[in-house]
Amino acid sequence: MTAYVERTQKQKLRDRRDAEMRLKNNRLGMNIFQISWIMAFVALVVVNWQLRFSYTQWPPEGVAPYDPLLPSVGALALLFSSVLVYRGLKSLRASRTGAFLNAWRLGIALGLIFMAIIIYEFISVSDAAMSTQYGVTFRLMTGFHFVHALVILGIMIRVYQNGDAGKYSADEHGSWAVEGAAKLWYFVTVAWMLFYVVLYWIR
Amino acid sequence: MENNTNNRLSITPTTIVVAAVYLLVSVVGINWFTTFVPVVFPPQASAEARSVDELFHVLLIIGGIIFFLIQGMLLISVVAFRARRGDQSEGSSSHGNMILEVVWTIIPALVVIFLSVISFNVWSQNTEPKISVNLVDGTPVSINVTGARYAWTHTYETNRTTPEGAPIVINSGNRLHTYIGQNVDLTLRTTDVIHSYWVPAMRVKQDLLPGDLTRGGRPTELRFTPIRIEGETYPAAYPIVCAELCGDGHGLMTGAVVVYEDETQFLEQFYEPAIHAILNPPADPVLRGELVIQEYICNSCHILEPFDDWVGRTGPALDGVADRAADRVPGQSAEEYLVTSVWNASAFVVPGYSDQMANFGPAEMDNYNMSPEELYSIVAYLCTVGEQSDCDNENSTTVIPAAIKTVFGFDVDITFGMDQDESADGETDSEDDGEMSASETSEAASE
Amino acid sequence: MATIAVPLGGQQERQAIEAVRRPALSEYLRWSVDHKIIGVQYGVTALLFFLIGGAMAMAIRLELLTPNLDVMVSGAAYNSMFTMHGTIMIFLFIIPMWAAYGNYVVPLQLGAKDMAFPWLNAFAYWLIPPAGVVMLLGYFVSPAEAGWTSYPPLSTLFSGDGQTLWALGAHLLGLSSIFGSINFIVTILNMRPPEMTLWRMPLLCWAVLATSIIAVMATPFLAGALTLLLLDRMTGTTFFDASGGGDVLLWQNIFWFYSHPAVYIMVLPGMGVLSEVLSIHSRKPVFGYRMVGLSSMAIAIVGFTVWAHHMFTSLQPELRIPFMITSMIIAVPTGIKMFSWLGTIWGGKIHFTSAMLFALGFMSMFVIGGITGVMLAALPFDIHVHDTYFVVSHFHFVLFGGSVFAIYAALYHWFPKVTGRMMNERLGVIHFLFTYFGFLITFFPMHIVGMLGMPRRVAVFDPAFTDMNRLISFAAFVLGFSTFIVFYNIIHSYFRGQIAGANPWRALTLEWATTSPPPVTNFEDDPIPYEDPYGYGTEAASAYLDAVDQAFDGRRPASPGGH
Repeated sequence: MTAYVERTQKQKLRDRRDAEMRLKNNRLGMNIFQISWIMAFVALVVVNWQLRFSYTQWPPEGVAPYDPLLPSVGALALLFSSVLVYRGLKSLRASRTGAFLNAWRLGIALGLIFMAIIIYEFISVSDAAMSTQYGVTFRLMTGFHFVHALVILGIMIRVYQNGDAGKYSADEHGSWAVEGAAKLWYFVTVAWMLFYVVLYWIR
Repeated sequence: MENNTNNRLSITPTTIVVAAVYLLVSVVGINWFTTFVPVVFPPQASAEARSVDELFHVLLIIGGIIFFLIQGMLLISVVAFRARRGDQSEGSSSHGNMILEVVWTIIPALVVIFLSVISFNVWSQNTEPKISVNLVDGTPVSINVTGARYAWTHTYETNRTTPEGAPIVINSGNRLHTYIGQNVDLTLRTTDVIHSYWVPAMRVKQDLLPGDLTRGGRPTELRFTPIRIEGETYPAAYPIVCAELCGDGHGLMTGAVVVYEDETQFLEQFYEPAIHAILNPPADPVLRGELVIQEYICNSCHILEPFDDWVGRTGPALDGVADRAADRVPGQSAEEYLVTSVWNASAFVVPGYSDQMANFGPAEMDNYNMSPEELYSIVAYLCTVGEQSDCDNENSTTVIPAAIKTVFGFDVDITFGMDQDESADGETDSEDDGEMSASETSEAASE
Repeated sequence: MATIAVPLGGQQERQAIEAVRRPALSEYLRWSVDHKIIGVQYGVTALLFFLIGGAMAMAIRLELLTPNLDVMVSGAAYNSMFTMHGTIMIFLFIIPMWAAYGNYVVPLQLGAKDMAFPWLNAFAYWLIPPAGVVMLLGYFVSPAEAGWTSYPPLSTLFSGDGQTLWALGAHLLGLSSIFGSINFIVTILNMRPPEMTLWRMPLLCWAVLATSIIAVMATPFLAGALTLLLLDRMTGTTFFDASGGGDVLLWQNIFWFYSHPAVYIMVLPGMGVLSEVLSIHSRKPVFGYRMVGLSSMAIAIVGFTVWAHHMFTSLQPELRIPFMITSMIIAVPTGIKMFSWLGTIWGGKIHFTSAMLFALGFMSMFVIGGITGVMLAALPFDIHVHDTYFVVSHFHFVLFGGSVFAIYAALYHWFPKVTGRMMNERLGVIHFLFTYFGFLITFFPMHIVGMLGMPRRVAVFDPAFTDMNRLISFAAFVLGFSTFIVFYNIIHSYFRGQIAGANPWRALTLEWATTSPPPVTNFEDDPIPYEDPYGYGTEAASAYLDAVDQAFDGRRPASPGGH
């Protein structure tokens, strides 16, 4: 009987330790994924950079440079969205589910605004630009980023729905899905900042 | 090492003798290695080759020392520290030796620094810009190399002009002609994929990079200076090979550097005869045909005299083509076969070769647009190449036009060869012209 | 730690362990999240692709018996042969093979129950067979013929649909590699027992950690390059087409930024294996443990700065010098490893087991690859031998003399743990002799042919090189034959091999402190590692090993090696 009690206690201890380990693994795994996959975005920056040297000037002759006004608004929206997502996570951890949902609702809405701006930018590349690498690399990079943003926004919406259904708890284990989605969204933000500077500001 | 590590190799007379013998073997071995330096290289035909070989010599000595050191230590360990049968005891419990570890970090670091420095010296010496390049008759000419799947083409933009004032361009197919002491500076372009121009005897290599040909391509440069090799008979020929995979005929993409003994020999045997032939196109269709073959760079893929019997084998050699022509396709005369093969090479592919020759016919199917008259000249010339030609050379003025009429339905003006103005027309028709102007614009742009 | 901790609990648990049997063969054909099953799946898949790639190598050597094109139907067929040989050996044999050992051994060495992300682990494996099939499907359209490096425009404007399939397959394999590597890093950093600090970790784990860091940083570049290639081939973009503003060197830069580090992805785990095998089979601690571990990291970091030495004949001349210097520097950490291994066996008790023979063979062959590597870094000499058989010889000394020898060493070393049975040592020695001499005679003369003027990737060559190529081909057939010996040995030993026991090599690392094969949960209790993974030669270590033997078998295992 004592042996049985000892065993179950041991098992409980082990389960708790395993749960800790899972959370620790998830966090490290997410960080490594972020570092790894940002390299794919860096690779595209290299593409953009090297192709500039095929031309005597950048943007090439006869091509108007992109107007950075709208994407700057988009970048701001994305930044605010990330801040809101972060605050939402904090609220959830502090057991303020309502604040969490509000922050995420707004964050997702800002994300959608950003995506709309990117779609507009993607479509409005002129034919003159598309006949050069200036336009092609632009569409390559914004398109590549858009696909990521789309998938991750989808994940965020799903997490929001689950949160609405009350599936997450305030402790770190119970809110890992929220934390993971938020970290993916930060990744989207950082990746866009990289592209934004390269595409719009470095001539 | 023996003193530093906590090991169990006792220093007995035997070990000393073994070590001494091995040291001797190493020294002899490294020496023996280095005697191979000339054997493992092709002839040392350029100034660059000399310094590269010297560098390799140094690399081989250092590599040899490392090789014998490590293999020797390995051998000694394997013999001295082998476990006897049934020996279940443990080895020494030494975990390392800080001094030793630092030493074998610093010494290799010093070695690679040394090697970087001497490599850098050889490199800057070999790539030092030369003041006078491609000198012919005291003035520089530009030598362009074009790589296309699967042939090299060398063109010399000479400093001579035709009476009409057009610059004379010599086309030497897959041969680069140069002479001892000439500072060769090649401009390389490709029309399709990446090729790599490698002359093993000169130890030089440069990739040809595809560029926008309408803007002069993306020329790369290759420099070397041929030197005299003792005991070589001049003119001497060394292979050019393509070193970057370019497709199924990659291995066939070869050529030759022909090195003349001095400028006089170069002028007498290559340069002047070539210019003379361009300035005075012969009336005889046979001689005329030999020139047309050069104009259309047939000699990039088909060579006449086999060189080393393997260079220039992208297509069948033209040597003896007249002897074989009648036997190729049943029911076709030698003339008909040759006429067909020039304009529509795909009609019959010689066994062992692949179907990759362009169509030279006048139709819109290609960009060569060879005139029927030029075809006539080529076939007239090819009919004379061989020991017992199958062609009816007595009546070539009627048989060949008849063959062209039968195969392709074109009439031939056989007075063509008599007309002296043809040379200018021939040049404008050929695609060389486009290439030439393209290269000129690019040079203007780069200046 | 003065007391000797044996990683076992009470009597009942020990009985539970002893009841462990090998998994049924059918388990290997199913989706499984057990790292041991996945490890074997990786290994068997990789070995099958090794056979295919090897058969292709034999076909290549058959063609090169004569200077003319005669065995193959066309130059294109020959080109596709070496293209697929290279691709299969790199992406479908060596890299997955290391994933196999990593998967099987690393969690055991860490005393963990499984990898950090078991599901992701299985997913990474199951990307590989379809990727291989997609690549081989190319043979039904027109196979990839642009070499494993696939330089555009040859691979874009001048190649058939097989090239598209090649790129798709490589894409999947890249993803698999990224997922696998994330898993390894997290497992190694997080799942060690509290007693095992980074500096007490087995060196295989160090090597796998360094490898995985390279893979996660570099592989996204491959993904980028392949994406551009696919876009150029399928949607008409012109990233690599100069007439549309593209740049052919763009591919070379991005591709080699991945593919040069990929060489270290292929050889670093082998170096880790070597540290294990040399130490265990010569009964002596690894010499300079910290330096060996750190040199793996140094190679990983410097490995990112050398890529353009693959472009010495195409890069602008003034950019070539810095890459020459970095390429030379990377010889230093490699040298540290080589000397440390020599220090390891020096003063040991070397048992000539098959695993040890292959490890010694690695040292003896890899040093040649290292020396020619420094030669190739010397820019003026590289200009001459770039893209010749000298290079072919160099990278086979590194990837066969290095990686494959290490793969064989690891096979003989861990086969008992995986199957519970020893490999046949006599066959192992025969296999070693055939491999060692077959390999040496195949690849050493290639240096000379290359320097004399034979470019690589040609089916037609100067007849002056015929004799040398005949010699190479015949030696290559011997080398090819040696593969059958090891495959026979694997199958034979799986069914008939001598029972191994838990710790046949008397090794101190944790994978040997459980049954062979280990139970599903690896260890019934939390194992406590011995204080020093390579602390051989001390009383305490011997006592620990005796205790392990006692705990699992109650007897000493049979003598581990012949002579």
